[in-house]
Amino acid sequence: MSKLLSFKDVNFFYQTKAEEIQALKDLSFDIDYQEFASIVGPSGCGKTTILSLIAGLLEKSSGEILLDGKPIQKNDSRIGYMFQRDQLFEWRTIWQNVTLSIEISKPKNADQKKELAKELLKKYDLYDFISSKPRALSGGMRQRVALIRTLVMEPSLLLLDEPFSALDFQTRLNVCDDVYGIIKNEKKTAILVTHDISEALSMSNKVIVLSSRPASVKHVQILNLNGETPLSRREAPNFGELFDLIWKTLTNEKETC
Amino acid sequence: MKKKPVKPKISRVAPYSSAHKKYLQKQRNDKIFVLIMQIMLLVLAIGLWELLAVTNVVDPFFVSSPSRIFKMFVSLVASGTIWKHVGITLLETIIGFLIATFGGTLIAILLWWNQKLRRILEPYIVVLNSLPKIALGPIIILWFGSGMSAIVVMCILITIVLTTISMLNAFNSCDADKIQLLKSMHANKFQIFWKLILPNATDEFISVLKINVGMSWVGTIMGEYLSSSAGLGFLIVYGSQIFKIDLVMTSTVLLCLLAALMYMAVCLIEKIHSR
Ligand SMILES: Nc1ncnc2c1ncn2[C@@H]1O[C@H](COP(=O)(O)OP(=O)(O)OP(=O)(O)O)[C@@H](O)[C@H]1O
Ligand SMILES: [Mg+2]
Repeated sequence: MSKLLSFKDVNFFYQTKAEEIQALKDLSFDIDYQEFASIVGPSGCGKTTILSLIAGLLEKSSGEILLDGKPIQKNDSRIGYMFQRDQLFEWRTIWQNVTLSIEISKPKNADQKKELAKELLKKYDLYDFISSKPRALSGGMRQRVALIRTLVMEPSLLLLDEPFSALDFQTRLNVCDDVYGIIKNEKKTAILVTHDISEALSMSNKVIVLSSRPASVKHVQILNLNGETPLSRREAPNFGELFDLIWKTLTNEKETC
Repeated sequence: MKKKPVKPKISRVAPYSSAHKKYLQKQRNDKIFVLIMQIMLLVLAIGLWELLAVTNVVDPFFVSSPSRIFKMFVSLVASGTIWKHVGITLLETIIGFLIATFGGTLIAILLWWNQKLRRILEPYIVVLNSLPKIALGPIIILWFGSGMSAIVVMCILITIVLTTISMLNAFNSCDADKIQLLKSMHANKFQIFWKLILPNATDEFISVLKINVGMSWVGTIMGEYLSSSAGLGFLIVYGSQIFKIDLVMTSTVLLCLLAALMYMAVCLIEKIHSR
């Protein structure tokens, strides 16, 4: 496996009237092709900031962010960003939501992308709902629509910012399985930001543990849990041990929030 | 999971169970009861008014009476003059309403687009909003003459500032994450506005429409009070000057009806939109 994304000594400061807030401090990590990496860290430590930097929504203050070995560009269409909560547009139908990015970037192969959208909707049991409005769908279905909306542009790197936090526990387990399956099926690289250690363990092959703000990497844990799906991995014998390890790394600092 | 989406609809056909049947029956009865009470209240008020006037408990010279209002209405219709007055007031109101609503929204779009401009103009908008517009009446008449245009300007002035403020508020209160989402799809500012900010503000726009119906009537009648030679506001002022209280009352009743009709038209738009 080789590197798709790498952060090298990245620093980032938010400028506010009152002060300069350092969100990231000498942050370095690598993400390999087709890897599923999770980022966990105390709340407010800078996780969303990391994703925003990758997506080009923010500009780093110093350091290097490389995608495929080259400095990351604004407007890179290889990156798909899935936000906390589904952020579906209520006044649009499911179809119009899913094809939003096509409408916006008007790619030359728009027809082909629309075909892909149709295929994905069919594959993941949403095709019957294409002319419904989002409010007719359950939380889990909405989340899948949001994921398909992100996949339609065929990004090579998916950024998932706590995509499941708005769901209740039961739905969450199922949607995790669904989303994981879709991402693996479509052979994508993904970075998942989450508060939930067990979610990180069950979905990824690597967990990056961050310190509290300013975020720097405290620990990187490579995982090899037995199990095909996130749900089955939760049953793996060393799951609890790993959970404790990550929990301890996360909390063994005084200033956690 | 493969089911057609079912829209929640109030069933008007088959009740599901006897309890449901009972529930529907009760709903229907309640509705009829409310309607009957509403009609009775109106009939009672009109009847009492008529009675008090006929028995001279109150002086019809000052309070008129339903039958006198009706007679006045019939004579106004017979002479044909009423349509001119109704037409003029209605025209002024609708023109004022449309210009204020769309103009105000347009200004809000401009201010959303250019936040610096918004910051520069903010204190002036606040002052304009708190200013009692009627104070500008004499100036308006000086500038626009004493005809229809002055009245329309009055109507616009009263309506437009609040329209701008409400719409700008709606534009600015759009979920920041949704804007980020569009940015992550590399949307430009125009696309962000067209695909997100504007449709996101439709609910607010409809409530602005509703408020503006009321406001534009206030503006028009106020304008007609200031200076006019025709219109319902003119009839009311004229009637009171020559102590023809019947004319005043008839015009007021007509005004009520027209305002209610226009409000209902907006409600209809809302219904069509939410379908
Ligand atoms: N626009 C901003 N201006 C100033 N400070 C900001 C801004 N956005 C975030 N911050 C600060 O930067 C720090 C990191 O924010 P970020 O949103 O990346 O944290 P997070 O780890 O995603 O938090 P959470 O777990 O709550 O989602 C926070 O302390 C926050 O207060
Ligand atoms: Mg966050």
